[in-house]
Amino acid sequence: MQRLLSLVVAAAAVALAAPAPAQTYPSKPIRFVVPFPPGGPLDITGRAIAQKLAESWGQPVVVDNRPGAGGGIGAELVAKSPGDGYTLLMGAVSTHAINPSLYAKVPYDPQKDFVPVALVAQVPNILVVNPSLPVHSVKELIDYARAKPGALSFGSGSTGSTGHLAGELFKTMAGVDMVHIPYKGGAPAMQDLLAGQTQLMFDNLANALPQVKAGKLRALAVTTSKRSPAVPDLPTVAESGLPGFDLTTWFGVFVPAGTPPETVAKLNAEIVKALASKDLAERLAAMGTVPPERNTPESFAAFVRAEAAKYAQVVKSSGARVD
Amino acid sequence: MDLLNNLALGFTVALSFQNLLWCFLGVLLGTLVGVLPGIGPVATIAMLLPVTFTLPPVSALIMLAGIYYGAQYGGSTTAILVNLPGESSSVVTALDGYQMARQGRAGPALGMAAIGSFFAGTVSTLVIALFAPPLAEVALKFGPTEYFSLMVLGLIAAVVLAHGSLIKAIAMVILGLLLGLVGTDVNSGVARYSFGISELSDGIGFVTVAMGVFGIAEIMANLQQKDTRDIFVAKIDRLLPSMEDIKKCIPSVLRGTVLGSALGILPGGGALLASFAAYTLEKKSAKPPRNFGKGDIRGVAAPESANNAGAQTSFIPLLTLGIPSNPVMALMIGAMMIQGIAPGPQVMTERPQLFWGMIASMWVGNLMLVILNLPLIGMWIKLLTVPYRLLYPAILVFCAIGVYSVNNASFDIYMMAIFAVLGYVWVKLECEPAPLILGFILGPMMEENLRRAMLLSRGDPSVFFTKPISAVLLGISLVLLLIVLSPSIKKKREEAFQEA
Repeated sequence: MQRLLSLVVAAAAVALAAPAPAQTYPSKPIRFVVPFPPGGPLDITGRAIAQKLAESWGQPVVVDNRPGAGGGIGAELVAKSPGDGYTLLMGAVSTHAINPSLYAKVPYDPQKDFVPVALVAQVPNILVVNPSLPVHSVKELIDYARAKPGALSFGSGSTGSTGHLAGELFKTMAGVDMVHIPYKGGAPAMQDLLAGQTQLMFDNLANALPQVKAGKLRALAVTTSKRSPAVPDLPTVAESGLPGFDLTTWFGVFVPAGTPPETVAKLNAEIVKALASKDLAERLAAMGTVPPERNTPESFAAFVRAEAAKYAQVVKSSGARVD
Repeated sequence: MDLLNNLALGFTVALSFQNLLWCFLGVLLGTLVGVLPGIGPVATIAMLLPVTFTLPPVSALIMLAGIYYGAQYGGSTTAILVNLPGESSSVVTALDGYQMARQGRAGPALGMAAIGSFFAGTVSTLVIALFAPPLAEVALKFGPTEYFSLMVLGLIAAVVLAHGSLIKAIAMVILGLLLGLVGTDVNSGVARYSFGISELSDGIGFVTVAMGVFGIAEIMANLQQKDTRDIFVAKIDRLLPSMEDIKKCIPSVLRGTVLGSALGILPGGGALLASFAAYTLEKKSAKPPRNFGKGDIRGVAAPESANNAGAQTSFIPLLTLGIPSNPVMALMIGAMMIQGIAPGPQVMTERPQLFWGMIASMWVGNLMLVILNLPLIGMWIKLLTVPYRLLYPAILVFCAIGVYSVNNASFDIYMMAIFAVLGYVWVKLECEPAPLILGFILGPMMEENLRRAMLLSRGDPSVFFTKPISAVLLGISLVLLLIVLSPSIKKKREEAFQEA
């Protein structure tokens, strides 16, 4: 009789204990892996989000920079982490759309190993030329490039970056021949463009806009399908003669596969709230981003799949590879 | 007249109580960070970026800048005391500085480093104030062809750094070059020598190699000799350089300052080149008797002045063009963006208090650093008297922490261990590590610029000789090569004559 009673008590205790952990997420510090070096727009935005999450939940959210292999090292680390909601990744177009097609092999599966949580920002690239080049629109640029095949050089921050692929897509769609010059990072590429060593570049809006405003560079178009609110007078490449041209640099939060859907939903809600807060929203607008109409884990997942397919095509036709 | 007005504006901003406080905090943190081997200004600034969210823009940038050049001062301290260069620019200071420490003259070495750095900092601040925009234009004239020729000059000069056998120095430079090639090639995207290990796909880190080859190998060599520690303790001389020392160093400091200010404006390695170009120049132009490599105080004064001048002038591309010249500057851009300031050419005109306030505070920061560091010398000397069996484990721990902090990767610690063993082997073979480190840093840059120049010229090699700056630099390299080789040629001829 006593043994039966103690068994019943034990079973009741276990039954009562089970639901508790699910309700108290997060109950310990969260690790936010940023697979890029500190200081760039992605890292800074990540830190701002981490701070807001920490304030809201009362748990530390620690940014862990793990740069290398175009974001692959950090992505691999999170792919192999347990799906308990305590490891987040700031993934980007490079880690989840470009690298799988660009690299011979990546140590993670961008679709299977991750659950997309929320899109953070979509930053347009802007086509800028050195003022010494006598072109004032995309059409003039295409005519110039057709008249002088192989004469124009365009720089980019690295092989496989959106700046590089934008140029390759431009070449394919416009049927022109330009030479790609890779650099280690956007800053040296910008320097050589200002000096006239290269003639044009598809740089991200935040970096290029100050130079344009100062008159050191001329802006021709943005690479997104819609005009950017930061530069509403600038046409898109698509409306300037290459319909269908659409490239953005985006980044968003991912968690490892197997993370419970309630945790994912909770993270999504909190991140969307952080993005809508006044100071973050202002900063993102200054970077030229347009917030998406819907930002749910499902819409983000669909977006990532579409981007991966698009870039598979772009990378293949450009012939770019990283071994 | 304009200049005086601007400087006055700058000083009113820099000398406000709040900014003075943040400047002091920055240089103090910077010194601490520089002294701890491995943990560099990049990691510190990254950690403090969130703090800058809440500060006014000028104060935030003043603090971060203070951390940067404070770390230069601190990095020389460990280079001199324990042969651990914290920054690439302190590698050269370790050469003579550490030898001076072994002779009991760590005090004068540290003192001269601080004084030389202060003088260079003052001069380069003036240079920035007077010539920032035209200097930025000059920096833009340096394209890939010019950088390549500069690197060639640098590599030949690296051979001069060695005071032992010429053949061994050349071998070490080439070995460093090969080690530097590990990683993903910029132009083709092919991973070289990475053996499929993702951590190697971005190359071997400088900190890893420097800690292993300089610091830990030195510890291993010291442990082998049982009588080392007595040398350190027994012969502690004076704490500060004598007037005679200072007078001897005046030409060295001047040469170092000029070279540093000139080379610092070149983005991407200008400040590093400055320190060892100054050392090389010093070796060739200082008045005899020369004692370089064995503890000549001029071998500390020149590179220290050069690297501080270079550190200050490397702000020029950032402040005038909005282009960062090294990872620390990239972080400063990040800090500016957080504040909503778009870094670019208009910062100078749209926000003069920011621009001139930063320049003025650089000088104030240098002054604070000298006042901070000179009295600390006594404390550092005391540290050397700690029994070695307690000191070296502490150094090892700090090295490990420092190396780990770069990429949050334990892989780097294993690499450091491998390099420590290799470094010990090289010490035994009497091959010097300094040429290796320079080949390691300059080789890949040289290759990158060579191929980029060839891409831009569509495969035409004559462009290296037709562009004026590049042609001049290559000409100087040739002359330097002849100067380096001629003593050995002369010696061989003398030997031949003797035998005959």
